[in-house]
Amino acid sequence: MKSDSPDKPEPGSPHPHAGRDDIPPGAVLREHVYDGIEEYDQRLPNWWLWTLYITIIFSFGYWFLFFTSRALPTDSERVAAEIQRIEALRFEQMGTVDAETLWQMSRNDTILAQGARVYSVNCAVCHGANLEGGIGQALNDGEWRWGHDPMDIHSVVDLGSPDPMAGMQAWGRQLGPRQVAAVVAYVLSHNDPGNMFTAADSPGRASER
Amino acid sequence: MAKAPPKRPNRDSVTTINDDGSRFFLHPADAHGPWVIARRVAAVLLIAIYVSLPWIQIGGQPAVFLDFINRRFHLFGLTFGAGDIWLTFFLITGLAFFLFFTTALFGRLWCGWACPQTVFLEHVFRRVERWIEGDAPQRKRLDAAPWSPEKAFKRVLKHGIFIVFAGLIAHVFLAYFVSIPQLYEWVRASPLDQARAFGFILIATGILYFNFVWFREQLCIVICPYGRLQSALIDEHTINVAYDERRGEPRGKMGTEGAGDCIDCNRCVQVCPTGIDIRQGLQLECVACTACIDACDEIMEKVKRPRGLIRYASEETLAGRKTRYVRARTVIYMVFLLLGLTVMTLAFSSLQPFESNISRMPGRPSYVTDDHIRNQFLIRLGNKRGEPARFHVEALSMPAGMRLVGWETSVELGPYAEESRPLILQQERAHYTGPVPVTIRVRTEDGRGVRERTLEFLGPDPRVFAP
Ligand code: SF4
Ligand code: SF4
Repeated sequence: MKSDSPDKPEPGSPHPHAGRDDIPPGAVLREHVYDGIEEYDQRLPNWWLWTLYITIIFSFGYWFLFFTSRALPTDSERVAAEIQRIEALRFEQMGTVDAETLWQMSRNDTILAQGARVYSVNCAVCHGANLEGGIGQALNDGEWRWGHDPMDIHSVVDLGSPDPMAGMQAWGRQLGPRQVAAVVAYVLSHNDPGNMFTAADSPGRASER
Repeated sequence: MAKAPPKRPNRDSVTTINDDGSRFFLHPADAHGPWVIARRVAAVLLIAIYVSLPWIQIGGQPAVFLDFINRRFHLFGLTFGAGDIWLTFFLITGLAFFLFFTTALFGRLWCGWACPQTVFLEHVFRRVERWIEGDAPQRKRLDAAPWSPEKAFKRVLKHGIFIVFAGLIAHVFLAYFVSIPQLYEWVRASPLDQARAFGFILIATGILYFNFVWFREQLCIVICPYGRLQSALIDEHTINVAYDERRGEPRGKMGTEGAGDCIDCNRCVQVCPTGIDIRQGLQLECVACTACIDACDEIMEKVKRPRGLIRYASEETLAGRKTRYVRARTVIYMVFLLLGLTVMTLAFSSLQPFESNISRMPGRPSYVTDDHIRNQFLIRLGNKRGEPARFHVEALSMPAGMRLVGWETSVELGPYAEESRPLILQQERAHYTGPVPVTIRVRTEDGRGVRERTLEFLGPDPRVFAP
């Protein structure tokens, strides 16, 4: 491209670059020149323009569906709904466990096998491989610090110890309701239903916190 | 501007886009010759490789299986977990420098020989089109002809086969991510039960079909970023498909006084799949497909002139000078390439057959009892191999009175299993002198993998316990 200064297109002239012999007849140049570099003003491919038009149309549809008519939920609304759904499910399953069911579960071999596995992976470290205690309380002597009702024990496993200094975390978040119930059943199976009592120095019942 | 057919390529605008922005659809003529044959062989090999990779089993897993669902990536017998994702940095930069290096030396070898776009377009879809609709002039006539039963038949057949092939490619593509057995299961299931997979296949087939039936060279000319990089990657020593101007010009019909070797037969233009005239020099549209080399060689043979008027050559060679292969840019690209390769080899050899992650349990950073200070962690182990593995976890560099609780025995994990377990560090209060780093080592029993990680054992200020 030549570097001599291009003529400013004159309004009304038949062709802005008439007289330029270095560009093809009919070609149109953009007005700007940088260091003698000029640029043709070519039409964009139609398919390319259509992708642009379609994104514009899409943006209107998107805006209308998600933010104006609210016909479709936005991502954050969907996440919130999903969390609600999971929580509802959890409450539902929670509702079905009570002291009676937990004792029943403690006599079901399938549930005990599952509970034994959960226990050995997560609990044995502190409470001992045979529930004899260690860092944590012994779980086979019938004495319960936070109440001896199965739902008290369930509450300690699910929500953690009411005493934040004790180090028993809320396992419900990690294990989910089914595994929590199974492991409580497993612990109960190592105790005699006729010999369950709350420790004399108990600060209160866990299920009533 | 009225177009007098045939359209003459020029350097000021893209041949395949008309002045009004509409598409100028090309019908490249057939080229015959050694380059076309060599490229076809390469293409058949490549397609065989693309298709067989998900089928070949290496170490119990497909050669390539990018299992996003389980966050495991199997590559030629190596298994990567989500925690190894940083290695892709070396993989991607390595591939990029390799591409830069070959481009600086030999131009767009990749485009002409190996790119799936070219491989499938030139050697599958255009072959089908050629077989059904005939050679270039016949295809042009068919395009212009009014609808007739024959035209309808040919069009239905062509588009039908195109859709089938596009569908096959979409399935192969999906197999890379879900493995063949899973894909087979989905294929046999009702589309309603597998709406997601079915929708993916439908969309992928649609895109591929559109690409190969209509979009074609527009991808290379307008969209592909590698094509856009060319002007920065090559120089006058780069070997490209090029026209020998000194030999060919001035072009003229046979017998013209003082004419060069080019007889201006226009064959090189007719065969070009991107619609350019290589005699106007190197242009960004050229995908180095070599069709024009074979086309011109065929003509040269006929007119008894030496072959190679169009050939693989650098601008320097064409100007009568020597091509230099060792130049600043090739050396720099090679240094980067070797550097990357070395780091990559080192990094890959440190690849562990398992993943491990240690985090503090929710709650307090430390627990103080009458005679102990305790830190509670959760360790998450993931077996990355297709066979069970036994894990030992031990603490190195423990200060006096400290004990690792919970890992007296080893733990076995099944194939690809993941598990978290508590990991507890406990120190006697009498020995406690303040926070201290402790290194945890995880190793597999068979000695194939070892990982170490340093944890901070935390606790209250020791002065609290001062007598
Ligand atoms: S100029 Fe030659 S090598 Fe380049 S795309 Fe056209 S036919 Fe292929
Ligand atoms: S094919 Fe060869 S001889 Fe014919 S026009 Fe092209 S360069 Fe010239």
